[in-house]
Amino acid sequence: MRGGVTKTAASRRLRLPRGEGAGAWLCAGSVALSLLALLALLVLLTVRGLGHFWPSPVALVTLEDGRQLAGEGVREVPLADGDGLERLYRTGNRDLDGERWAWVRVSAIEAVGYPADLVVVERRRWGRAIGHLVAVQGAGGERLEGEAAWTALEARLAELGTLRDARDRLREEVILPLAGRRDDEAAARELEAAHARLRELQAAMAGGRLELATADGGTLTVPLAQALGAYRPNAMSPLDRLAAWGEGVWRFLSEGPRAANTAGGVWPAIFGTVLMVMLMSLLVTPFGVLAAIYLNEVAHQGRLTRLVRIAVRNLAGVPSIVYGVFGLGVFVYGIGGRLDSWFFEAALPSPTFGTGGLLWASLTLALLTLPVVIVATEEGLARIPDQQREGALALGATRLEMLSRVVLPMAAPAMLTGVILAVARAAGEVAPLMLVGVAKLAPQVPVDGDFPFLHLERKFMHLGYHIFDAAFHGGDVQAAMPLVYATALLLVLVILVLNLTAIFLRHHLSTRHGALTRR
Amino acid sequence: MLDSPPPTAVRRRLRQGRDRLATALITAGGIGVIAALLAIGLFLAVEVVPLFWPSGEASAISPEALWSGGEAAEDASRHRWAPTATLAPDETPRISLAPLAWGTLEAAAWALVIAVPLALGAAAHSSLFMSRRLRSRLKPTLELMEALPGVVVGFVAGLVLAPWVERHLAEVAAALLLLVPGPLLAGGLWSRLPAPWREALPLGWAGLWLVPWLALVLAASVWLAPWLEAVAFDGDLRRFLELRLGLDIAVRNALIVGAAMGFAVMPSVYALAEDALSGVPSSLAEGAQALGATRWQTFWKVVLPAASPGIFSAVMIGAGRAVGETMIVLMASGNAALMTLNPLDGLRSLAATIAIELPEAGPGGVHYQLLLLAALALFVFTFLVNTLAELVRTRLRRRYRRLGGGA
Repeated sequence: MRGGVTKTAASRRLRLPRGEGAGAWLCAGSVALSLLALLALLVLLTVRGLGHFWPSPVALVTLEDGRQLAGEGVREVPLADGDGLERLYRTGNRDLDGERWAWVRVSAIEAVGYPADLVVVERRRWGRAIGHLVAVQGAGGERLEGEAAWTALEARLAELGTLRDARDRLREEVILPLAGRRDDEAAARELEAAHARLRELQAAMAGGRLELATADGGTLTVPLAQALGAYRPNAMSPLDRLAAWGEGVWRFLSEGPRAANTAGGVWPAIFGTVLMVMLMSLLVTPFGVLAAIYLNEVAHQGRLTRLVRIAVRNLAGVPSIVYGVFGLGVFVYGIGGRLDSWFFEAALPSPTFGTGGLLWASLTLALLTLPVVIVATEEGLARIPDQQREGALALGATRLEMLSRVVLPMAAPAMLTGVILAVARAAGEVAPLMLVGVAKLAPQVPVDGDFPFLHLERKFMHLGYHIFDAAFHGGDVQAAMPLVYATALLLVLVILVLNLTAIFLRHHLSTRHGALTRR
Repeated sequence: MLDSPPPTAVRRRLRQGRDRLATALITAGGIGVIAALLAIGLFLAVEVVPLFWPSGEASAISPEALWSGGEAAEDASRHRWAPTATLAPDETPRISLAPLAWGTLEAAAWALVIAVPLALGAAAHSSLFMSRRLRSRLKPTLELMEALPGVVVGFVAGLVLAPWVERHLAEVAAALLLLVPGPLLAGGLWSRLPAPWREALPLGWAGLWLVPWLALVLAASVWLAPWLEAVAFDGDLRRFLELRLGLDIAVRNALIVGAAMGFAVMPSVYALAEDALSGVPSSLAEGAQALGATRWQTFWKVVLPAASPGIFSAVMIGAGRAVGETMIVLMASGNAALMTLNPLDGLRSLAATIAIELPEAGPGGVHYQLLLLAALALFVFTFLVNTLAELVRTRLRRRYRRLGGGA
């Protein structure tokens, strides 16, 4: 089907060869359909995941009956009775009417406006507040109205942000490490000072409130200490929006979850995922490489070895949940329970290691990914020509020297590929973690200033489980959806990057060592 | 190494000792790791034993109970899985694993129904017609698709696709009807295009340029749906299915699970099938083409039969993956333990049941052991299926080597 064919041949080619008709096109169609599905999934995740952070304009909707509501239009669906459309608005002010969403019949809408002075306030509790800013009252009682109120509000919120950061730093860096050493005189005095400073900061943050006139005519008073941020979405320029979007993405990545995992960020989940995966790769690499070297270089290449090799390969196909069951039965209940009765008797009956935790999760996933590493390393080892080994031995090297100086350096990229593939698999695996240690919400990350710094027995949060939990166990799934999209996008990105690295490495490897390939 | 002094006897002995030690360590470590891996099956088997040969007063559970939920089970509690339900004194425990096994197999079957044609078609296209450059790009792309975490696929299927499908049944039906004629129509139009256009849209790249075409076809099916609904389904497909065919429709049903899991399983089936097809010695295909067969005829009559064991093993591997996949079924199936043939009803699989119930089941109890039995069943099934596939593949590779010298 290349060019450069003579004219007659080309004109004969014009007719589709009869036998090649239907089947060929159906096959091409199945390629296209798979790609389309993949593309659709990725586009959906990207658009919904990133779009959530874009500050979309807030509409002030006036209904026929005179009622007003403020919120962002989310989507439209045909009405159940078939005539007309219904539009979903994401509103705020949940403390006033208990609702975060409003369905409105499109035909019942009289006017939709986008007044520039609508203010959206992110709050620590009750979600967002939306309304016209009436007044801001400072801590001292001075009351500002109009445009001055907005400038004062912005300044005060920025100030509160820095205070909050200072408080969090103080808590994490000074108070928590000191709290462990209560019996120490000097530490106790330091702690006292830190607490005094903390009270000072808290006093500086207290006081002040803002008043909003809500769309339905009410008044909403928000204590300034409760407000996390405020913006006027309709008055923003595209550049402002972009900045707000960047800030939203950053806060998603760097903050902890709020409101039962339906708001806030996923930082603890990122942290937990990365930590667990790192521990897992520390465990899986040496053992996987060891087993691969044994199988390929040391073991007698007989029937038994071949059977073992097939068995190991097949273990890669055993469902991950089975590994989770094994981890729960052997690591958590078996070894963990034994450890508890030996070393942590004081804490019983509440288990220390006898319940799911970081260590057991890492071990389980290490076991799960062991076949991946073994297979990849073995492939790398098998690709090294025997002449290399024989040459080394002929020059007088012992087997250890031959392995460590010649074979392993040559197989290193293959090992790395195996480990990366293992990491990619482990990062996306959720089912076994549900049995051996993942938590819906872990108040403490497994690393802190307390000895021994890394707490292997603690439960941890995980991106994949966060998706499952927020999407299925949250109270308001509708509200959690954007964050679930964003989390899913994040997880997919992490895994794509890891896999691309592995693919790139493998490609690099096969071109570099192509000449060495054993035929 | 060359300029180091010749080793003395002591140094040589030291080196040899170290070497022996390292070899022993590697052997011990390697055997230990492999033994730990293989211990999984052993552990499950040992833990399950007390179910059938109890040591104390507890009564053994009969296979009959696991199948139908007890000998005396009346119709209402036959094939029920409710191990934690509080029972009246004379009731038999509802511990039938049958609905769970049924759900597992049903989900896997629907996944294969979707994945296998897609994967085999894609494999056939990429080994027959696809340009080399596109093929070298397609493989890693589908590998990425395989690596997409189950929890993400399950979330999209359960919370995005399922509600959409529920509201747009007719659109989905229309899309299914148009999926086969769509590419055929493209082929028909293509053969009528002027030659330069066809040069620009070669068959080798059809996998790529058919993507927007298929998107168009799907858009057309949305547009055609009301008409289809009016003509074929009395104006309302949902009512048609419920009243005429007597089908219950659950939002999260077996078809949704099948579609999601088919999406997840398709890349691994594709990879293995493509390996099998491209491994067929080219001398066979060349011989057939020299005798005047078209590429498609060569494929259908020569390459496919030669590669059929490999394709069988690819399908087996896919079945193993589909049976064990947990998160997709958990999130997209509704988890109702039913035994129906209706693809629009929910299901509950063994793996999902383990994931939901095992954390709550105390160790050592009957419930715990039953769940371990479920895990053992999954383990044995996937292990056997994979071993079978691997054996078939090994034999196939030997045959290729005999046939064509591994060309």
